[in-house]
Amino acid sequence: MPRIRKGAARTQARKRILRAARGYYGSNHKSKYRAEDAVIRAGRYAFRDRRRLKRDMRRLWITRITAACRMRDCRYSQFINGLKMAGIKLNRKMLSQLAIEDPKAFDQVCASAVKHSRATAAKA
Amino acid sequence: MRRQTYFATPQTVPAKTWRIVDATDVSLGRLAVDVAQVLMGKHRPEYTPHVDCGDFVIVVNGSKVGLTGSKAEQNVKQRYTRFPGGLKEETYGSLRDRRPEKLIEDAVRRMLPKNRMGRHMLAKLKVYPGAEHPHQSQQPVAMTI
Repeated sequence: MPRIRKGAARTQARKRILRAARGYYGSNHKSKYRAEDAVIRAGRYAFRDRRRLKRDMRRLWITRITAACRMRDCRYSQFINGLKMAGIKLNRKMLSQLAIEDPKAFDQVCASAVKHSRATAAKA
Repeated sequence: MRRQTYFATPQTVPAKTWRIVDATDVSLGRLAVDVAQVLMGKHRPEYTPHVDCGDFVIVVNGSKVGLTGSKAEQNVKQRYTRFPGGLKEETYGSLRDRRPEKLIEDAVRRMLPKNRMGRHMLAKLKVYPGAEHPHQSQQPVAMTI
């Protein structure tokens, strides 16, 4: 068997890694060994966080809806219960956008939720 | 209506206003919760975690803040001077008389994010022991707890 030297293939492999690690912190974008590690890790975080993003966004919407409800003297739990009772099918993303871009519409949604909520029904 | 979730940017963040709150007989923790919420901006629907969208808060009458039960005598603040045996202890009650702004700022600080953003938010908190404050020109709006 003739001896095979890696030559060009090795350069290509290093370049491929370093290209993927462009803009990384410190020696992570310079050293092949550090870059290799960082690229693999970045992929793993990206995979995990694409899934986590869905949860994180929902949490943000809930925080925003809570703030919007509090401005209207209503609790988040009461609001969500009222929506369910009233048969309003808006999801949390739509509600939070509504609270920011069309506060008057959110006023109406909130009023109707409060009216139908269990807390109000118990009082009546 | 836009379909994409709104995110405030430092340029588009809603205008910051000033709030003023009277600490007289409001218990420390309950005061700190509401103040921290406003400093973080969680009181408005535009709240964006990576952008500071909170308002300024002025706390007056800090020396009259409430401590329920026997917390004024029993709870202590500890700090270490780095000399051997240099552990200093001070009860909440005595700290309230001596430096109420320290007591209130500490309580609020621990409810804020522990990062650069949190320190930035804390800078928007102004605590004064008495009823006077030098921020009249900011026209603070009263806040109820």
